[in-house]
Parts: sequence; structure tokens; C-alpha cells
Amino acid sequence: MKRYAFAGILLLLFLITHHFEKNSLANTTQIKDINKTTIQGRVSSVYGPVQNARVRIPGDEKYTLTDKQGRYLLQPTHVHFQGVKVTAGKEGWFNNAQYAGPLGRVQDIYLNPIYLNDNPDYRFISPVVCSRCHTKLTRYWDQSKMAHTTSNPKVLDMFYGTDAFQHDNVKPGYRLDNPNSNGNCAVCHAPSAAVSSPWSQDLRSVLQSPRTEWDGVSCDYCHKIQKVFPDKTKASRMAPIFERQSSPIGNSILVFGPYDDVVVPPMAASYASVFNKGQFCATCHGHFKPLGSGKTWDHSKIYSPSEWEGFGLKGDTTLPIQTTYQEWEHWQDQLSWNDPNKGKKCQDCHMSWRKDMLPYDNYIVDGGARRMWGTYRSPEDIHPHQFDGGTKIQLKTALSMEIEGKITGKKVDINVYITNTNGGHWVPTGETMRSIMMVLKVVDSNGNPLKMLKGERLPEWTGKGKVEAGNYAGLPGSVFARVLADDKGHLNVPFWRATSIASDTRIRPKSTVKLSYEFLLENPEDEPSAEARLIYRPVIRPWVKNKHWLAEDILITSRVW
Amino acid sequence: MRRFSYIVFSLVFVLTIYLPGQALAGKITGIVKVKGLRSPVDILVYVVKAPAVHEDLSKIKFTMDQQNLTFIPHILPIPVGATVDFPNNDKVNHNIFSLSRTKKFNLGSYKPGESKNVRFDKPGIVELRCDVHAEMAAYIMVLKNSYFSVTDDQGRFEIPDSKYLEQHHIKGIKNLSPGKYVLKIWHEKLKPQKQIVTIPEKGDISVEITAVRGTPGVLYK
Repeated sequence: MKRYAFAGILLLLFLITHHFEKNSLANTTQIKDINKTTIQGRVSSVYGPVQNARVRIPGDEKYTLTDKQGRYLLQPTHVHFQGVKVTAGKEGWFNNAQYAGPLGRVQDIYLNPIYLNDNPDYRFISPVVCSRCHTKLTRYWDQSKMAHTTSNPKVLDMFYGTDAFQHDNVKPGYRLDNPNSNGNCAVCHAPSAAVSSPWSQDLRSVLQSPRTEWDGVSCDYCHKIQKVFPDKTKASRMAPIFERQSSPIGNSILVFGPYDDVVVPPMAASYASVFNKGQFCATCHGHFKPLGSGKTWDHSKIYSPSEWEGFGLKGDTTLPIQTTYQEWEHWQDQLSWNDPNKGKKCQDCHMSWRKDMLPYDNYIVDGGARRMWGTYRSPEDIHPHQFDGGTKIQLKTALSMEIEGKITGKKVDINVYITNTNGGHWVPTGETMRSIMMVLKVVDSNGNPLKMLKGERLPEWTGKGKVEAGNYAGLPGSVFARVLADDKGHLNVPFWRATSIASDTRIRPKSTVKLSYEFLLENPEDEPSAEARLIYRPVIRPWVKNKHWLAEDILITSRVW
Repeated sequence: MRRFSYIVFSLVFVLTIYLPGQALAGKITGIVKVKGLRSPVDILVYVVKAPAVHEDLSKIKFTMDQQNLTFIPHILPIPVGATVDFPNNDKVNHNIFSLSRTKKFNLGSYKPGESKNVRFDKPGIVELRCDVHAEMAAYIMVLKNSYFSVTDDQGRFEIPDSKYLEQHHIKGIKNLSPGKYVLKIWHEKLKPQKQIVTIPEKGDISVEITAVRGTPGVLYK
């Protein structure tokens, strides 16, 4: 009898084990076979079905759009978690998610709308808060110029008319010329303060504020922008549309971003397509100055009709000071649909991976947050916030240079070709204090310079004095810059004094500039050589001298013939 | 007797044609010593004028790989007419292009696992770039002949480069005939250097080139 009981218990144990094993296998199979499974469901809202919502497995490259009834069919390419989560997102709505059932059916994903109730009293979150989960992203951002646009000493010196030693009355200075005006510097140099407290636009008062989110272009400032619209009243002619609000339920914070699959409790994330467009950068990377009082200037000698139109300008009453966004937009507009560069945008180059960031990371959150809320993504789907621009890394490949020479009797002809290889805008761009110089030196076999017969020489403002100290005025070469002028014909004036543009020789995207020179060769049997150096100068020499700034030249490349 | 004379004559003829190209010719071996660089690796050493390649290059595979935001190798010398494959073995998309006057092309953006190729039909320097990763830069040196070598980490080289020829399955490149040759070097951070070498009637020639940091020159002046 005992033997039968024992056999019965064994049989029972076997059956129980088998049952659990089978169920467990069934679950595993379900997950493993998810690639062959079609997930279907519906996206709805308080107003009914939501059409054109983007539905995907989080982190998946492919997504599907809902139809009029809010329905979708999804064939996931890969699944990383044991539960199959499906997310939905649409512009103007908070992202949301549901888990798929065993048969691939998902309960309705319910989307809540972003109510149009921007709260101007909202206080932006300090980047320190963001760094708790997005540690690496904020570290890269903190190392960028973007994080310190207010505390940048050169910005403060230009605003107050001081120098590196904090001496007063050192030109140029906005306040020296406009003692009672704050200007509109804060709009881009301290945007969180400019939006939150328009009376705090004096840069020092911004910095002295305990509000740490006010220095620089902070995380929460950018991620509160829902859209960007043309606005001719703004200096950049583009304005951000903010939605500073919290979710109606709980205390989560509305954050706009490029992901429609981020559904995590601390943030109420909402997909905004503008984060994947160059337009996003336009609110600050453009600067136009109306001349006012019926003043005009003749732009036809500087820009082609197409370029002028590319700046979005009509008439001659406005001065384009900074046009980085418009330069890029105009270049893109001119490209044919099948050009490999069509569709390249600011984020592709200025928010891309760098070698010092490797190995590639598949998450945008770190630490404990990664285990709780991390979404596995392709590195291609992650944009490190390094915002490289005007740095050695960017400049070394931004331009390339080639040199060729030919000896004909007593003449040496030198051609230098400079190409804007990697800039999607004109180079140099942005601030008009920047310039690029090509310095040419042609010598005989004994190292003695040859006499130049034809060709351009570098202007006075590239520096008078010793060549070894970076002064190149009068040497064979060429300079690429946008040069602002005032009514009296002074060159390289600050933008607030400018009334015209004297020249704009900057190099257009992907185009090559050919510079030709002719030198005298006394001895036709000699073997002369030529060396061309391409140098980036972040601040023009007269200002560096006045302000006692440290602004070192960067050698982009050099070539010998 | 007549048959014997015919055989002797044929033998002499064959030896006259064959021997100078083999037994009498030599290699150029040597070392490049550099000042101002961490390592003497990846320096191109090439003979300016030498017999051109008459081999069909269409079946020979040259590769410029992309891994971890880096082109591998940094300098790829190829004979004119060769085709180079550009596989993307990285984890992000790349967009390789060149705006060099030697060869202008733009492969567009393509995904990991994909590959594209380009034929280089003009001698000169081709500077490679990736449109979205500023750090990525490499050089394809399109040479007029196959008498070149890239230095190892000790700065050593050998022309013709038997390892390179074997790696790319290039056949028919004989040692250089006796005579004077102009040897040049190219590296993106070194001044151009020129040295005249004489290959003796018998044996190889060993040379030492000293290079200093400076501005690089053109391949062919």
C-alpha cells in the first residue's frame, strides 16, 4: 500500500512539474516567437480613437501608424524584455503604453492630450535633477559651450565692456554704447531667465541668482519646447512655443523629446518632431538686425539674389548678423531630392558620437534608472548632447585644402583649393568675430621668400607685427569671414554698431574656393616650394589685443607643394 | 647540329629576357626614423617613377573598413585603377565621401553591415571623411605604380612589399631593375622627404630615411 502511495506521490510530482514546465516553456515560446507574432490593438483617448499615433515596441527602429479607428498592426523586429510592451505617441499627446497579452492582443493604449495651458510661472528644473538619471548626457552637455552661455567670460566682457582682467571701459562693449539697455542677449545666452523673469535680463543678475538652471541653455528649457514658429519680432526671426505644465495626475513633469516610446513615471514624456529637425536650433542660431529709421544698405554687392532670399530677407532694411540656420536651410533647399546630403540636419553632426564616448551605449539613462526604466536602443537612435562646434575635433575635418604649382620660365603659379567638406553651413559661421585665414609662403631652395606678382594679401585686421606671434597682415593669403562695417567705414565693428556688411567671403557648404597666386622665380633652374596653412581664428586680432583674451588659433590643415 | 644550334639560341634568348628581371634586380629595404611623432608607423614610402602595373585590378580587393568611428587602415595605398570596398562594420550609420580633386564621391548614409565601393582612376591623394562624424578621416593614396610600402611600427619597409602583394593577391610585380630611383615618403604629419637610391646589379639596397614633423606635400609634383 505504501508502495502505491509513494508511486502516486511521484506521479503527482511529475505531473505538477511537467505542468509548470510546459507553461513556462509556453511563455518562453511566446516571447521567442514574438518576431513571428503580429500585435494588434487600438489607441484611444477621451475624444475617441487617435489616428496617426506612432506605435512601436520601445527601442524598436520601426513603428506603425494608427488608422482612423485608432487601430494598428505591429510586427516587432526584436524584443528585449520578458513582457512585451507596446508604446504609442503623437504630437500634442502624452506618450503611453500597454503590455501585450499571450495572443498578441493589447488593451487600448489611452493617450492624454497636452492641454494648451502654458504656465509662465513655471520654474525650470535644474540640470542637476536630470543628471541623476541621464548622467552621461548631462556630463557631455556640461562640457559643451551650450551649458555655459551666460557665464562665458567673453560674453560678459562683450556685454559690459570689460577685459579679461575685469578692467572697465574696454571696447567693444554693448553697455558702453547703450548704458541704459539690457539688449536682448539673455534671450539666447540665458534663455531660462529670459523666459521666466523678463526683468532679470542683466547677465550678472542672472548669474548671481541662486537659480542654477539659469546659466546656459539648460535641459528643461529645451525640453519644454513643443514647436518652433517663424516670428519676425524676434532677433532670430524664429520663436519657441513652450508648454510649461505638469501632468494632471500625479507630480510628473511634462518633457518633450524625439522619442514616442518613452513612458516612465518620473517624466510625462511627449513626442515632438521638432527635436529631429534643424528648425529646433533656429531660435538662437540666427540673428537679424533691423537698421531702423528708414536706413538701408546695398546687399547686392555681397550676396547673390538666391543667397539673400535664402536668408529669408526682402528689401534692404535688415542686416543679417548671424545666419547659421538660414545658411543650412538654403543649402538643403538647393539640393536635389536624391542628393546624399539631402535631409542632413544640425543634430546629425553636432549631437553625434565621439570616440571618447565609446564603447557605444544602448541606453540614455544610467545607474539604477537604467534597470527600472531603461529602453535598449540602437546607438544610431541616441544623440549624445556634446554640441561640438568650433572645436578642434570639428574644425580639423570641416575644411580641406589642396595645393598645386607650376613653373613657367621665371614664373611660379600656385593654386590653392579650399573646400568646405563637412560644414552644412558656411564656414566659419555664427559670431562675426570668427575668421579663417589661408597663409601662403613661397620660397626658393635656400628658403628665401619669392616676390609675389599676382594674388591677394591678408588684410590689416589679421594682425600687424611678428608672424611668429600670429600676425599675418600683408602676407600672401586670403581670409574668410563676414565683416561688419559702420557708417564711417570702420571694419569689424560689433553687431550693434554695424550698418552694413563690407564683405562675406565665408565658404559655402561643400563648395571649393580656388585661390591663384603668381611669384617671380629669379633663377628658372631653382626648385622653389610653397606652403599653405589654413588657420581658424576664434576672435579677430584687434579684439583679442584690446580684451587681453586667450583665444588661440587652431591650425586646421597645412599642405606643401 | 642545326637543331642543337636552334636550342642553344632559344636558351640564350630566354635567359637574356628573364635573368635581368629576376636575378639581377633587387628590393629596396630600409627604415624611416622620425622626429616629432610617437611612432614611425603608417608612413608611405614610394618610388616616384617605376614600371606601371599592367595587371587586371578589377578582381583585386582593397578594403577601407569602418569600426568604432575609425577608418581602418588610416592610410591605404593602392595602384591607380583599383577599386576599394567600404564596409560599415560599426554600430552606427556612416556617410563616406571625398571632395578631393583626385576623386570626388559621396556614398550617402548607410547602415552597419552594408558595403559600397569606389574605383580610383587617377593618381593622387584622396582625403576620406564621414559626413556626420567629424573625427573620422583617412587617406587613400592612389599611386602610379605598385612599388610602394607602408612602414610597420618600427618604421621598416620593403619595396616591393611582399606582404602587401600577397595580402591583395597581386602577382607579376618584379623586383626593380638596377638603376637610380627617386624614393619619397608621405605622412599627414611629416615634411616631404626625397632620397635617390641606386639599385645595384646584384642584391638589394638598404636605406635609412630621416623625417621630421611638418607639413605634408603632394604625391607627385
